[in-house]
Amino acid sequence: MCLAMLFAGAIALTLGAGVQSMSLAAIWGAVVAYDPTDPLHVVLAELRLPRLAAGLIAGTALAVSGSVMQALTRNPLADPGLLGVNAGAAFAVVVGALLMGQNAAWAIAMLAFPGAALAAVAVFLLGGGLSGEPGPIRLTLAGVAVSVLLLSLVNGIVLIRSDALDVYRFWVAGSLAQALQKPLVMLALVTVAGWLLALWLAPLLDTLALGRNLARGLGASPLRVQGGALLAVTLLTGAGVAVAGPIAFVGLIVPPLTRRLTGCHDLRTEVLAAPVVGATVLLLADGVGRLVLAPAEVRVGVMTAIIGGPVFIWIARTLRPGEQR
Amino acid sequence: MTTRQKTAIAPPAFALNRRAVLGGLLGAAVAPAGARAQTAEVWPQRFAHAFGETVLDRPAARVVSLGYTSHDALLALGVVPLALRYWYGDAPFGVWPWAADLLAGAEPVVLTGESGIETVAALQPDLIIGIGSGISQAEYDVLSQVAPVLMHEADSPIYGMGWDALTRILGRATGKADLAETLIAQTTQAFADARARHPDWQGKTGTAAYHFSGEIGAYAAFDGRSRFLTELGFRLTPAIEAYQGEAFYIPMSPEDLSGLEADVLLWLSGTDTDDDLAALPMRRLLASHAQGREVFAGTLTAAAVSYGSILSLPFALQRLESEIALAADGDAATVVPSSAKAGLAP
Repeated sequence: MCLAMLFAGAIALTLGAGVQSMSLAAIWGAVVAYDPTDPLHVVLAELRLPRLAAGLIAGTALAVSGSVMQALTRNPLADPGLLGVNAGAAFAVVVGALLMGQNAAWAIAMLAFPGAALAAVAVFLLGGGLSGEPGPIRLTLAGVAVSVLLLSLVNGIVLIRSDALDVYRFWVAGSLAQALQKPLVMLALVTVAGWLLALWLAPLLDTLALGRNLARGLGASPLRVQGGALLAVTLLTGAGVAVAGPIAFVGLIVPPLTRRLTGCHDLRTEVLAAPVVGATVLLLADGVGRLVLAPAEVRVGVMTAIIGGPVFIWIARTLRPGEQR
Repeated sequence: MTTRQKTAIAPPAFALNRRAVLGGLLGAAVAPAGARAQTAEVWPQRFAHAFGETVLDRPAARVVSLGYTSHDALLALGVVPLALRYWYGDAPFGVWPWAADLLAGAEPVVLTGESGIETVAALQPDLIIGIGSGISQAEYDVLSQVAPVLMHEADSPIYGMGWDALTRILGRATGKADLAETLIAQTTQAFADARARHPDWQGKTGTAAYHFSGEIGAYAAFDGRSRFLTELGFRLTPAIEAYQGEAFYIPMSPEDLSGLEADVLLWLSGTDTDDDLAALPMRRLLASHAQGREVFAGTLTAAAVSYGSILSLPFALQRLESEIALAADGDAATVVPSSAKAGLAP
């Protein structure tokens, strides 16, 4: 109930607040009689609605992928970026800026997604996907190795090329602005696909958490489940990163927050509720970011880091041993 | 691709600059040693600046240029720096087309990132230009043990010393004060000529604007990019004039770009196309847009305005004069070519 009100509040903040604040009547006016020369109507239709859509997509994607990551690695403090997805996207964005001179919003979105996917595939293969034994520890180690390699390359490139650095430093902070220029429909579909896959996999991941042999005895193939979970994380994180950049902390804090708010103990309920919590957190952070230093905007990734840091410390300090779900 | 475009665009501009500069050299050579030479050529020369005072006993010949754009003024004076600071772009040795010919085959050391005190010391310079470099007092103190260091004047912004003042100081330091005055007079004249050709520009408003990765805003009044417009006779809008912040730019919300509204809106871009700028929803509601008052400066032209040097400004003027004229008339029917090419035109 409280969550639903917060969610509605976050949507209202996204649509209504900004340098030009907008009443419900004005929003209704824009819906029934859209006037392309009215600044308020244009702000609503071409800036705030796409921004809302971007927030819903990225919030859902990051929160659900966080839940799956934490179940997959059996680590309640795991982050979706752990498997090299963010580093892969970062590398693709920087190489795109370097070789193709691309810095348009759509180009960056289209580069980030395959970059994220390729990195995830590399992590899966390095983590034992070929030998058929991709345990959580091997996957995590492979993810760290791939991330470190890719981020070193990114750092090397941006040290030499200031134009690539300019593209990178803005992208890495994360933003929901310029959403209209991004392929939102495609990324929304990818996110929904990832979410459905996660919902389907959730009981199997719960089974896997009992241990490899017991899971096998219960009819779940560890390789298939882990491969499927990695696919879901890749789809979701890839879409989230393509829409909004590598936004920190959302994938990390939303899953434990969801577990506390809903009191759920199974992954499927968590995955079902995570999109609402994720989108609420992201949209609230973005709304605050647009207001604190107006007319300039603080990028949403900066806001989630400012808000997420203390929340993360609180979660880590109040975590009960053995609690995962 | 961009490199090729630059090379393709460069030759006529070289020719113009070379002629201008050679003319300047010739002028200086035949000019009699007048009254100014007597006052200027007294050594030692003293330079008061933000970090204290620097004294030069004789004209500097081995110069390291740490400022991001100060090498332009040195090259204009015929002094090829031993080392220069890389700012941005693909130009060989960090020297952009408007100054490249003046390297005359020399291959200066290009300093990237930090100022590289060891590299500087190894070159055994007799003068280090710190104007527009952003070095700290501590770095200044260390560098001063290598060679005398010149800094910006105490009352000027770190990156905002005028091209004329910079050229004058460097002329004095390298024993070419007369040549510096001749070159300054030429560039001043180029702006005066442009003003004379376009009396209708006087008193109209102009805004120098940026867009990068969704960040939009205008350059502050003291920034060289705004001064480029004011030197052509435009005045800035009251809101930009009134801005009192430290930063050289004034950020704006993508939801309200009305602060950019002006008789001429000059977009300075780091790229030759900018899809995101063209797609900015609120830009389309600006009267500046509807009346065809926008000018788009792509990589090379924007760099020339941004360098704001004695060499780059005439180059920028040459490339932008007709564009600005088409924008300033306020007639949407007279299309501004750069703006149409970038997809900005109404």
